[in-house]
Amino acid sequence: MSKVISLAKIEGKLAIRSIDGILFGMGMPLGVLLLTTMIAGDKQAGNASYTFLDSSFSSLLVVGICATAFMGIPLTICDYRDKKILKHFFVTPASPAHLIATQVLVATVTAVISASLVTFVSIVFLGYRMRGSWLLLIASYFLVMIAMYSLGLLIASLCKNMKIANLVCSLVYFPMLFLSGAVIPFEIFPSGMQKVASVLPLTQGVQLLKSVSLNQPVGHPQFVLSLLSVITIVGFGLAAKFFRWE
Amino acid sequence: MNTAIEAKQLTKEIGGKKIVNQLSFTINKGEVFGLLGPNGAGKTTTIETLLGIKRPDQGSTRILGLDPRKQRREVFEKVGVQLQSSSYQNNIRVGELCRELSSLYKQPRNYQELLSLFKLERFETQLVEKLSGGERQKLSIVLALIPDPEIIFLDELTTGLDTEARRSVWQTLLKLKETKLTIFLTTHYMEEAEILCDHIYLIKRGNVVTEGTVPELLAESAQNNLEDAYLWFLGEDDYE
Repeated sequence: MSKVISLAKIEGKLAIRSIDGILFGMGMPLGVLLLTTMIAGDKQAGNASYTFLDSSFSSLLVVGICATAFMGIPLTICDYRDKKILKHFFVTPASPAHLIATQVLVATVTAVISASLVTFVSIVFLGYRMRGSWLLLIASYFLVMIAMYSLGLLIASLCKNMKIANLVCSLVYFPMLFLSGAVIPFEIFPSGMQKVASVLPLTQGVQLLKSVSLNQPVGHPQFVLSLLSVITIVGFGLAAKFFRWE
Repeated sequence: MNTAIEAKQLTKEIGGKKIVNQLSFTINKGEVFGLLGPNGAGKTTTIETLLGIKRPDQGSTRILGLDPRKQRREVFEKVGVQLQSSSYQNNIRVGELCRELSSLYKQPRNYQELLSLFKLERFETQLVEKLSGGERQKLSIVLALIPDPEIIFLDELTTGLDTEARRSVWQTLLKLKETKLTIFLTTHYMEEAEILCDHIYLIKRGNVVTEGTVPELLAESAQNNLEDAYLWFLGEDDYE
């Protein structure tokens, strides 16, 4: 574990230096939060019994997860595989698994900072008050996180090279971001589009966080809980099965 | 025990083709061993199979008496490796790369000492990608030495360097040789092999062509230098 932490300090610095993680993972959710609140913060979200701020708060929590799960983790791992950095870890007393654990740790820290910022700004500057339980919210947040990270690792395992990884990540990241309700409030989608978007696992994750934060069921929380658990188990299983470090 | 590396009937097939075929050799401690051969001869696959990165289809390898696949951690505490055309993380600085690698070992050498030994200390805070080719190759030797190894593997260390940089890397390796470090290297420069290597192992299409000390190979081929001897050994069946 100490090896992972000392690696994470350096890999974390590299992540900060490459900027996009901070921009997409932290800057964007804050920007969208402020924008949504300015435009329609206290208006009712569609036909729902809550406001756009209520809806945005819980949704924007997952943007950091989405950015690290579908950009940060798979792109870094594929890049390191292309550069033979993973292979090089095989000829040290550590293993490629160390480096991957480090990347997941860096991603987790990034996502948690992002969610904390959204929470801080919502409460301190936008007067947000959550109706549900914080403990449940945090638990659900981490469930969504590990489910999405398992999918991110699966992408990293399946993509042969950086070109494919870039393509796949864009194809997964942008729909997840825009259709899941993480950035654009789900409530204003036409109902046809809502149905399509519901297929995305992150949509379900957002619904779960919404249910918890509003203390009222949005969608089918029970179903989402089992879905995310299944995704996590299957995702990690397949990622481990197909993983290649060269 | 005087044996550093031992390969017995090492065979590796990739896609049904024998890339490495029945290679056997023993390398003593303190020896510089040169694995030579044309492009596609199987040099890199030999190194990777020897190190246990790839699983051998037949045969076995021992590094410092240990199986590198089964006792990986123990083996690589004492072995430094420079893989062919490997590169490093974007935006990483020289010092960070050294610290990152050092953190993986129980008793690493002081990397700052190593950097100054190779006259790289002024680059410590510089980005690795901004180094020149020669500086970068010296850095990869520094990285291979961080574990304070008994053996280092250098795969085509000097490929792509200009003459001056190459010579300066040779000087460095000669100094390392004096410290009784065991060195396993591959190269395309026969002059390099002639200067550095105690023992040459020449392969072609995965098969051993010949092996021996430089004087032995020169005598066997009746040539004046290793480059001509090399071509003589490889050319034998090319005029069919």
